Amino acid sequence: MRRVLLAAGAVAAVAGVAIAGAFARTAATPGVTSRLVTIGGTFPLSGPASSYAPIPVGMKAYFSYVNARKGPDGLRGVGGRQIVFKYYDDGYNPANTVQRTRQLVEQDHVFALVGGLGTEPQEAVVAYANQQKVPQIYVSSGATEWGANHDKYPWTIGWQPDYQAEAALYGRYIVSNLPNAKIGVIYQNDSYGKDYIAGLEAGLGPAHKSQIVATRGFEVTDTSVLSQVIDLRKAGVDTLMIFGTPSPTIRTYATMAKIGWKPANIFVNSVSGTATFLGIATSLAGAAEVNDSITTYYTKDPANPAWDNDAGMKLYRQIMAKYVPSGDAKNGLYLYGMAKAYTFVQALRAAGKNPTRESLMNAVLNMNDKTNPFLLPGVVTKTGKNDYFPISQQRLLRWNNGLFTPFGSLVDTRPKGL
Amino acid sequence: MTPRLASVAVRAAAVAAVAALVVLLPHAFDDFLNYRFAFVGIYFIAIIGLNVLTGYNGQISLGHGAFLAFGAYTTAILSTNYGVGEYWTIPIAGVVTGLFGLAFGLPALRLSGVYLALATFGLAVSIVLVAKRFEGFTGGGGGKTLTLPSSPFGALSTNEWLSYLTWGVAGLMFVAAWLLTRGRLGRSLRAVREAPIAAVSSGLSLARYKTLAFGIAAAYAGVAGSLLAIAVAYVNPDTFPVSLSILLLTGAVLGGLGSLEGMLFGALFIEFVPKWAESIDNRAPSVIYGLILLGALFVIPSGASGLLQRLAPSLKSAGERLYSRHNSRVQA
Amino acid sequence: MTDFIQHVVVGLANGGIYATLALALVLIHRATGIINFAQGEMGMFATFVAWALISHHGFPYWGAFFLTLAIAFLGGAAVHQVVIRPFEHVSELAVVMATIALLVILNGLAGWIWTPEVKFFESPFPQKVLHAGGVVMSVQDLCVIGVSVACVLLVFLFFRLTTLGLMMRASALRPGTSRLLGIRVNLMLSIGWGLAAVLSAVSGMMAAPTVQLDPNFMLLILTYAFAAAVLGGIDSPVGSVVGAFVIGIGISLLSAYARFIGTELQLPVALAVLLLVLVVRPAGLFGRVVVRRV
Repeated sequence: MRRVLLAAGAVAAVAGVAIAGAFARTAATPGVTSRLVTIGGTFPLSGPASSYAPIPVGMKAYFSYVNARKGPDGLRGVGGRQIVFKYYDDGYNPANTVQRTRQLVEQDHVFALVGGLGTEPQEAVVAYANQQKVPQIYVSSGATEWGANHDKYPWTIGWQPDYQAEAALYGRYIVSNLPNAKIGVIYQNDSYGKDYIAGLEAGLGPAHKSQIVATRGFEVTDTSVLSQVIDLRKAGVDTLMIFGTPSPTIRTYATMAKIGWKPANIFVNSVSGTATFLGIATSLAGAAEVNDSITTYYTKDPANPAWDNDAGMKLYRQIMAKYVPSGDAKNGLYLYGMAKAYTFVQALRAAGKNPTRESLMNAVLNMNDKTNPFLLPGVVTKTGKNDYFPISQQRLLRWNNGLFTPFGSLVDTRPKGL
Repeated sequence: MTPRLASVAVRAAAVAAVAALVVLLPHAFDDFLNYRFAFVGIYFIAIIGLNVLTGYNGQISLGHGAFLAFGAYTTAILSTNYGVGEYWTIPIAGVVTGLFGLAFGLPALRLSGVYLALATFGLAVSIVLVAKRFEGFTGGGGGKTLTLPSSPFGALSTNEWLSYLTWGVAGLMFVAAWLLTRGRLGRSLRAVREAPIAAVSSGLSLARYKTLAFGIAAAYAGVAGSLLAIAVAYVNPDTFPVSLSILLLTGAVLGGLGSLEGMLFGALFIEFVPKWAESIDNRAPSVIYGLILLGALFVIPSGASGLLQRLAPSLKSAGERLYSRHNSRVQA
Repeated sequence: MTDFIQHVVVGLANGGIYATLALALVLIHRATGIINFAQGEMGMFATFVAWALISHHGFPYWGAFFLTLAIAFLGGAAVHQVVIRPFEHVSELAVVMATIALLVILNGLAGWIWTPEVKFFESPFPQKVLHAGGVVMSVQDLCVIGVSVACVLLVFLFFRLTTLGLMMRASALRPGTSRLLGIRVNLMLSIGWGLAAVLSAVSGMMAAPTVQLDPNFMLLILTYAFAAAVLGGIDSPVGSVVGAFVIGIGISLLSAYARFIGTELQLPVALAVLLLVLVVRPAGLFGRVVVRRV
C-alpha cells in the first residue's frame, strides 16, 4: 500500500508540474494579454551573493505601486495592464541561471527578461536570449560588455554606469588633480576587480599609466588582506584604489588602521562606497582612516540624511513602508531596484498601446528620460544610435564623518568612440 | 522459474516501465519539462558513479562535483579551443575524468573516513580555484561559452533532443553499472567495504579496488559533466561550487546507497525539490529545502531503495508463489 | 627577518580565528565519531543572536556575549535532541547528512531573519596596535589568540578534572558500559553538543569583527577549522588548536613568499600540503593511530 502511495505521489507531483506548464497561455506576443504584462529575471536569493536579494524585491515593490495607482493616462498599471514580475533564485550559479531563464521564457512565457543579476550568470544566457529574440534588458551588472556588444547581441542591454567608466572617472580626476600621485590598487581577483583596473588605466591614459606603482589582488573568500596592504605601503603608495565588494573593502580599511597607514588619497568603488559600508568601516577603523575617501554615485543613497526631504526619497520610503515593511529602507539595493523598475515602466509605456518585443526594444534603445526620481538630479537615462549605456553620468563624492559631499559636476562617462 | 529469476524479472519489468516512460514522456508534457528531465538524467549518471564509490565501496566523497567540473571543462575546452564535435567529447570526458579519478584515488588510498572526507572536500574546493588560475586554458572566472544546444533532428525540439541524449547515455551507463556490480567487480568492491580484513585474506588487493572505485565514479561524473556542458552551453568556476558535491551526495543517500535503481529517485529529488521549495516561499528557499531534506532523511533513512526493500518481501513472496506453483505441478 | 616574523604573527592571528571552531569539531567527533558540518553555521547563528541583542535590544557587549553563550548551549543541546538523535541509530552517514541539512537551514534562516547584508559586529578588545622591533601586532589579534588558548585549557581541565567531564569521556568511549554504570549517555551527548555550540559561538564572535558579519562568514572558517582539526588529529583538542595555528602560519607564509602561485591557489596548495602530511602521518600530528593494517 505504501509503495502504491509513494508511486502515486511521484506521478502526481510530476503531473502537477507538467499540467501547470501545459496550460500556460501562449499569446501572440508572449507575456502580454489585455490585462497583464509578465516579465521575469534571475537573482541570487540564496548562496554567497544573496546580499543582492533586495534588488528584485525593490523592483517588485515599485511595480506593485504602479499597478495600484492611476497613471498619467488615468489607468492603473501601464496602459491598463498590470505588471507581473516573476523572479527565480539562481544562487549565482550559471547552470541554474540557464535553467531558470529557459523556464521563464519557455514555461512562463515572459514578455521580457528584466534586471537579471550577475556578470557570469547573465553571460550564460545572453546567446539564448538573443537566439530566442527575447529582450534581456537592464542587466544588473556593471560589466562594459552589456553596452559594448550590442551589435552581437542586439536584444541585450545593461542599465547602470559600467565599472570601467567609473574607474576611468577616477583616472581622469587623478591626471587633472594628482598628476604626481603614486597609485596603488588593491583589487578583487575576478572580472569585477579587473574591469575596474582596465577602466583606471584607460582613464589615466598611456602617459600616466606609470603612476600605478603596485597592484595587489585578493580572492573574495580571503579572510585577511594584511600582506597586500603591507606590500602597497612598502611600494610608497600615496593614492590607494580599493576595488572590491563591501566585506573585503571594510577589511582593507580595518587592516590599514591596524598598521597605522593612511594614504593621502583613497578611492573606493561605488558598490562599497555607500554610507552603510563606510559607516561600518568607520566603526572598525576609526573616522580618521575612512574620512576623505572618494567614490562616485548616480542614485540617491537612502542612508544619507541629505536626501531626507527629497521628493524622490520620500516616494521611495512610502513604497517601502507599504510593500516591504520588514525591509531595511536604508539598504540602497532596494532603491536600485526601484530606479530600474522606473526605467522599465517608462520603456513599457513608450512601447505603445499593444507592446511587442520589438516595440519594447525600440523604446529601450531610444530613450531620453530625465524624470527618474531615484537617480541623482540631472542624471538622464539616455540611449540612442551607438549609445547603449542607459545611465552614464556619475558624480564624485567625498566622505567625511558620516556625510557625503559631492564635488565637481555630474560627469558623463559614456565610453568615447561608441 | 526460480524465485531469484522471478524477482529479477519483476525488477526488470519495473526498469522497462521506467524506460518506456522516459521515451514517451518528452511528447506527453510541456517542452520545458524535457529540459529538466535532461538534468535529471545528468544527475542520475553522476550519482550512479557516486553510488559505486560510496554505496558499494564505502568511501565517502564530498568532492564528486569536482569530477563533474573536470568532465564539463574537458568538453568545453575540446569543443571551443580545438573544435572537436561536442558529442564526441562525451566519451572522451568520461575516460579523461576516469583517469583523473584513478590518479586521485592512488594517494587517497591511505585515507579513510573523516580524512578522506576532508581530502575530497579539498578537491571540490580546489578544482574551481585551479580553473580560475589557469585562465588561458579554462577561460578563468568568465569561463567558456559553448554553442547553444540544438536538435539535429527536425522532428525533435532542442529540449526533447537533450532529454533523449542524456537518457540514452544514462541508460547505457546504467546497464554498464548493473553488469559491473553484478559481477566479480561488484562483489570485490562490496567486500572491500564490508569486510576488508577478510577481503585481503582472500587475496583481493584493497589498493586496486579502492582506486578503481574512484576511477569509475569519476568516469561517470565526467560523462555527466560533459552532458551538463552541452546542455547549459556555459561552464565557469561558479557552476561547480562545493554545494554541488553536497547536492549529489544528498541525491545518492536519498536514493539509497547500494542501489542503482534508487538513484533515479535521488536524481528526481535533487532536481525538483529545491526549486519546489523556492516556490513555496522565495524569501527563504534554503530553509524550506533543508526542512524537506531532514524530513525525507527521517522518513526514508536508508533511501528510497531501502523503502522498497522493506516492501521487497512482497516481491519475494510473489516469486516464491510462482515457484511453488510450478513445483507442485511438476510433483503432481 | 622582521617581515618573516610579521607574517608569522599574521598567521597566528588568522589561526586564532579558526582554532576555537576546530576545537568544537573535535569535541563532537570525539563524542559521536562524525564531523558536524553545521558547526560553523551554529556559530554564525549565535553571533547574529548576539548582534541582535546588542543592536536591537540595547544589551552591553559582555552581557550579550554571555547570554549568547547560554543560548548557544541550550540551542546545541536542543539540536542534538531534535535533529541528531533520530538518526543516531541509522548510520553515521545519516547523521552527517542531517548536519548538512542543518547547515542549509541555519544559513537560510539567518539570512531571512536578519537579512544577508553585511553588518558591523563590535570587538570587546581595544583597537590598539603594538609595535615590537618593526613588527606590528594588534591587541585584538593577541586577545583572540588568548581566547582560543584559554578555551582549549578550559576544555582540557573540564574533561580531566570534573566528574561530568569524566562521564562524558566514558560515554564517548564506551556508551554501552557507561549505561550499565548508570550514566545517562544521551544526556552526556546533548551536553557535548551544547558545549561545542558554545565554542562555535565564541569562535563566531571573535571572528566577526575582523571578517564582518553576514550569513556566509563562517563557511570558509569551517573549511580551515576542518583542516586544522584533521591536521591536529581529529580526536585531540590540543592538536586542533595547534593545527589551526600551523595552517594559519602556513597560509600566511604561502601568500607572502609564494606569490607566483597566485591568490587562487593558496587554499588548494595549503590543502595539498595538509594531505601530504596526512599521508605520512595518517592520524594527524597529535592523533593516535588505530592500527588496522590491511
